[in-house]
Amino acid sequence: MAARISRRGLLGAVGTATAFGVIGRPQVAQAQAATLKITTWGGKWGEVMKGEVLPAFEKEFKCKVEVDQAFPYLPKLQASAKNAPIYDVLHANSNEQWRAAVDGLVVEKITQNEVPNIKELYPYAVSDKIAGVTIFTSAIGLGYRTDKGLTPPKSWKDLADPKLAGQRGGYQIPVNSLGQSHLMLLGQLYGKGMTDLDAAYKALEQLKPIKLVDFTGQMEKMLLQAEVVMGVIHDSGIYRYEGQNQPIEFAAPAEGVLSLEQVLNVTPGSKVKELAYGYIDYMLRPDVQKKLAEAVWYSPASKSVKLDPKYDAKLYNTPEKVAQLIQIDWKWYNERKDEVDARVARILRG
Amino acid sequence: MSTPSRVSPIAWLVAPAGLFFLLFFLVPFGVMALFSVLSGNPVQRPNVTLTGRHYDRMLGDSLYIESLWSTLKIGAVTTAAALLLGYPLAHWLARMRSRGGHALLLMAVIAPMLTGIVVRTFAWITILSDRGVINATLTGLGLLLAPLPLMYNELGTVIALVHIYVPFMVLTLAGVIGRIDERLEEAAMSLGASPMRAFLEVTLPLSLPGILAGSLLVFALAISAYVTPYLMGGQQVLTLPMLIYQQVAATFNLAFAGALGVVLLAVSLILIVAYNHVLGRVARREDLA
Repeated sequence: MAARISRRGLLGAVGTATAFGVIGRPQVAQAQAATLKITTWGGKWGEVMKGEVLPAFEKEFKCKVEVDQAFPYLPKLQASAKNAPIYDVLHANSNEQWRAAVDGLVVEKITQNEVPNIKELYPYAVSDKIAGVTIFTSAIGLGYRTDKGLTPPKSWKDLADPKLAGQRGGYQIPVNSLGQSHLMLLGQLYGKGMTDLDAAYKALEQLKPIKLVDFTGQMEKMLLQAEVVMGVIHDSGIYRYEGQNQPIEFAAPAEGVLSLEQVLNVTPGSKVKELAYGYIDYMLRPDVQKKLAEAVWYSPASKSVKLDPKYDAKLYNTPEKVAQLIQIDWKWYNERKDEVDARVARILRG
Repeated sequence: MSTPSRVSPIAWLVAPAGLFFLLFFLVPFGVMALFSVLSGNPVQRPNVTLTGRHYDRMLGDSLYIESLWSTLKIGAVTTAAALLLGYPLAHWLARMRSRGGHALLLMAVIAPMLTGIVVRTFAWITILSDRGVINATLTGLGLLLAPLPLMYNELGTVIALVHIYVPFMVLTLAGVIGRIDERLEEAAMSLGASPMRAFLEVTLPLSLPGILAGSLLVFALAISAYVTPYLMGGQQVLTLPMLIYQQVAATFNLAFAGALGVVLLAVSLILIVAYNHVLGRVARREDLA
């Protein structure tokens, strides 16, 4: 017998389905067919984002995502009006998110009300050192050549070994957050704490001669070419060469590893704010976290991700491992950045 | 009754270039200059005021003055080296009789320009770095115990800049030298001048406009270079474009970046006017002689 479909029944079914849809994703109910403007990285990360993650997001949320991969993003956001920002979601490292937050270019606080998956995160991902929501982190430690007869470094202080003069690597501190993090860590290692800049400057002086690069990809090349035999680098910058038979390895110093957070935040003037929060929530889903973590060797910020064994063994994805992450007070650092940049330039040139 | 004034056809032809210059140079420069005297970003903050503190900061800190000096020094050395290398090449190119040879040489000059500056700079890194071709070869042959300091300093920066900008010098000079009547040199030699004297007293003075234009072009490009000094200079080289980039992209202080840009432009203009003036006087003296 053929089922008869009445007008009232059809309307009821549509109404029920709509209600479930609204309850299921309350934030994005009114954001369909909208355009979400985001920033994101290039390279392998960008390939996975543009090839898999974003198309799935667009399909599920019935929206269009416009991506800017041309770093730096913050000057462009600064140049756009607050009520018509060039981006809806800013993806940046923690130091830049703090600068954006201080300037009022991103929202002050994101809670579980806007992004329910925040409840699944490790505490560091939304700590008071973060402006926004951390979706991944890398561990900054020491990368070294395994074919140069070096003893694998156990401490950050091993970088100051006189035998490494001219063959150790660091960053142009004014433009690189790894260099800035390392400078603050020097204050802790050789002085009274992270804010002991005088001790940090003195320790930096001891690292000369040192080869400096402006971005992390270049440090990878320096290590691969043996131009540098030991340098400050994030774990993903070494692990991505796994299986390629390269004589480089990552060491996590006993004092802890510096956290290089990938942070998302929403611009206050966004016209699709609910969709923007929906995007952050989507990026924290276990399947999305697993896909991206294993593509680029980033440690997922969500506790509910089950990584494949080889990633599980190395990435920072347990409470014990996460406890080794050292977070930087970027708000404090940014307030002194000009003074630090000028001092560091003198130390390194002189 | 007055007749309506007619706009010259030349003005109509020049108008697009003028509009382009206005939109893509004067307006951006005006915005940059305006930012440099404001207390904040007017796009983000409504209550900004006029201030001279960004200029005070620059002039009051020796780091910025040293960087300006370093920028101008690298620009001047690069220009001089590009002229010394480029002049003979341009002369050869301009006087080559074989059309095939001329085409091949022209292609050889232009070919490096078909590759991006970043790629060319990385090529120099593979040659000049401590484990690069030169140092690896000399160390491998036992001729060196420690690598020569060929990069991470001003030397490496200048070498890479000269390679990148010498085609601009050659092409500018070749055009001017090619228009000099060869019979003038032949006349000088028929009157007893040696080839060198004929060159020094006839060709060289007549090519001064090309030297001026090529030098100004290379100098302007070299003092505004960012990528090459960053990659080749290591910790020892700090130029104003590097500082401007830092202020825009890492410190996000557009006002101070604007002030640095205005000072660099002002100093460069003064030097260019002075250079133009000196070369002009030399050229006039040669004319009188």
